[in-house]
Amino acid sequence: MKNQIRGSEREFAQINGKLEPTHVGCDIILILLLGLIFAGNLSAADVSADFSAANKLYAEGKFADAAAGYEKILQTGAQSPALLFNDANAEFKAGHLGRAIATYRQAELLAPRDAELRANLAFVRNQVQGATLRDRFWQKWFGTLTLNEGGVLTAVLFWLMCALLVARQIRPALVPKLKGVTRILVVLTLCSASILAVQTANHFSAATAVVIADNVTARSGPFDDAQSAFTVRDGAELSVLDRHDDWVQVADGAGKTGWVSKKQVEVLPGA
Amino acid sequence: MADNLLGKLFLRWRIPNLKPGLAVLVVCLLALNSGAASFTASLDSDAIALGEQATLSLKFDGIQPQNAPTLPAVAGLRFQYVGPSSSFSFINGQTSSSTTYNYIVAPQHDGAFVIPGMRVDVNGQQFASLPLKLTVSKANAPSADAVNSGSEVAFLKFTIPKNRVYVGEPEVGRLDLYLRDDVQNFGNFQLTGAPTDGFSAGKTAELQNQRRRAQVGNHVYTIIPLAVPLTAVRTGALTLGPFTASAVVVLPSQNRNGDWPFNFFNQGEQKQVTLATDPVSVESLPLPEQNKPANFTGAVGDFTMTVTAGPTNVTAGDPVTVRVQIAGSGALDGVTLPAQDAWRDFKTYPPTSKLETSDQFGFQGTKTFEQIISPQNSDVHELPALTFSFFNPDDGQYHTLTQPAVPLVVKAAGTSPMPTLAATKNSAPENQPPQDILPIKENLGTLAVKSSPLIAQPAFAAAQAVPVLAFLAAFIWRKRTDNLANNPRLRRRLTVEALIQNGLGDLKKHAAANRPDEFFATLFRLLQEQLGERLDCPASAITENVIDEHAALRAAPETTLNSLRELFHLCNQARYAPVRGTSELNSVVAQFEKTLGELQEVGA
Repeated sequence: MKNQIRGSEREFAQINGKLEPTHVGCDIILILLLGLIFAGNLSAADVSADFSAANKLYAEGKFADAAAGYEKILQTGAQSPALLFNDANAEFKAGHLGRAIATYRQAELLAPRDAELRANLAFVRNQVQGATLRDRFWQKWFGTLTLNEGGVLTAVLFWLMCALLVARQIRPALVPKLKGVTRILVVLTLCSASILAVQTANHFSAATAVVIADNVTARSGPFDDAQSAFTVRDGAELSVLDRHDDWVQVADGAGKTGWVSKKQVEVLPGA
Repeated sequence: MADNLLGKLFLRWRIPNLKPGLAVLVVCLLALNSGAASFTASLDSDAIALGEQATLSLKFDGIQPQNAPTLPAVAGLRFQYVGPSSSFSFINGQTSSSTTYNYIVAPQHDGAFVIPGMRVDVNGQQFASLPLKLTVSKANAPSADAVNSGSEVAFLKFTIPKNRVYVGEPEVGRLDLYLRDDVQNFGNFQLTGAPTDGFSAGKTAELQNQRRRAQVGNHVYTIIPLAVPLTAVRTGALTLGPFTASAVVVLPSQNRNGDWPFNFFNQGEQKQVTLATDPVSVESLPLPEQNKPANFTGAVGDFTMTVTAGPTNVTAGDPVTVRVQIAGSGALDGVTLPAQDAWRDFKTYPPTSKLETSDQFGFQGTKTFEQIISPQNSDVHELPALTFSFFNPDDGQYHTLTQPAVPLVVKAAGTSPMPTLAATKNSAPENQPPQDILPIKENLGTLAVKSSPLIAQPAFAAAQAVPVLAFLAAFIWRKRTDNLANNPRLRRRLTVEALIQNGLGDLKKHAAANRPDEFFATLFRLLQEQLGERLDCPASAITENVIDEHAALRAAPETTLNSLRELFHLCNQARYAPVRGTSELNSVVAQFEKTLGELQEVGA
């Protein structure tokens, strides 16, 4: 009733040219905000229902169906570490070592310090036969922070450092007091930025290919009839050296290189 | 036509940089070019042996495609693009250019192959090449007669210890390279084919310190042994080889009788040799289902087991470390610790494993598992027997190793707090695979939309400019403040500027309100302030006299000085003269502003 009255008042005001534009703007923003909030809740509710349904399929031992359920959610663009973790579990139980490893690694990008995730990834990796790539120690160490966490940490340190430098300019009397803190912040910012640079370079340039088919033949050239260079098993992790059309040039942990079809591997960014 | 087009492009881009004479020469050269465009395909050899390679050349005369042409697929042949080469010639006034795209052709089996004719489209023109024939002969191992007669400079022999293996059973094949005694040197040895379908093959490596010499037929050969680690992964009739390889050997030169010193440099002749082995048949047997132990996890080999556990006197919940060592020969990498169903009264933690191999192939050594378990109650009196089963391919039987139960003394936990497991320190998840994967998560957690990392988002990068700009602003402000603090004249100038701005406003207000007393008082004060600032003396000391007395004002234009005198005169006159009107006061304001502008241009 109250809304109706307010609506009538607005119509009357509009006719008389008295409705202030700022009120219109506020109303539009309010409507948009409410819309976004309700739309978000609705979407989250749908995803939650689908997630529970996939979990149920997993509990019933229908692992392939459960994996399909998780994939369906992922195809909407939504993702969470738990969703990827469960998807990887379902893939593993369905016998797809490579897909499981690829999905665990995607989850690891979001939650690198999740002990359960790392334990499952290590377990599945142990099932993989043949040569495979292993992360170097520094990659493991840097990988304890996500790229976003590293970015935010560096940005916070950088902003703090700049704030201190600004304070020193505005209040020169503070310079002696802030000297030690400024030095520490400068060193921390430089260290953090260096690590972030390495992380970023690794993320964008050190791609990894996870084999998702069994007995994949790596060939000496990007052709179907190229000579076989070596064979890799489902789940093997290979470093990506080059790409050409539908082929990816890879190197295994033993240093052998070859070309594999994109259909047989899943290419992931570096950690 | 294509040349003409290229010529036009060349002229368009380069002539501005050429001297006129040279440009004319280039035009003449291009005009003289009358060669027809063509496309041909050729092989450097139309008959090769399996293991050898031919070179396919696609030559474009007078035209240049933008990319290397895509070759048609030919079953049994693989093509590897090597790169382009270009040539340009100028003979008797005729110019010609050609681009050749080279491919390595490697056959995968013997037989007669036809590389079909190719059609390419260059700048709208169609070109076609003729089909090419390539005959690939079998890469057979040399016959025994040939070997015994000594006609073979080098040959290859492949042997395996057993022709009947079980799936999962590792064995090391041996590839012997025989080099005749007159071979002075060899190099560039490459395995061009190593068919091991049905096997998982490790890295081929030379067996160190095992080179030897042996008499074969009429010659002595040096034997260089290479090891090929193999593990059968498929059952059935399998074939290993033929392994093919190529190498360059150095043989004594046929022309060593030349005159000294020319024969000094003629030490030997290089010869490319293609090597091949006979294929070897292997029967890969499945592991028998009969008598297969329930806890068999796929270990194939011959193993022993040692188990230790400690401490054995603990409180319920305390950790007990169980160390299991599986030693022997076999596929150790794949050995896993079976689940121990009898450990139901224990809480188990994921085991760690460490593999120490004693041979270069990883087929012999020790795999050590360490598992932390903790008894859950004081009713536990022993660590149940631990069993490990494996299949021994030598006797074709399953074996189960059993470690007797280990007595334990477990006290009730009472009120003492649960101990922190020392093992958790070492239980980095990536190093400790559990017996099975951990269960799924019930909570979805925070959902996020897939997006590129923050670092790649322009808004994030732009936000980092904010503190930099803030710092720059602060830095400039600090410099300006310091500058002002160290420059009293500048400070006074700025103060007077502000004072004049406010004073002009006051003057206009007084003029509008027709308040001549306040107007001329303000005007006099502003004149004092401005002249005081210009002449660097106190404002209170400024009178009309300074106009004629102060040396700094002598450089000012006479009109400015007159205007100043008039303004002072008006101020003095206002004390005695009758009241003036608004319009007259406004004209005084205008005069004052004009004079101020002129005065500010006079150097102090």
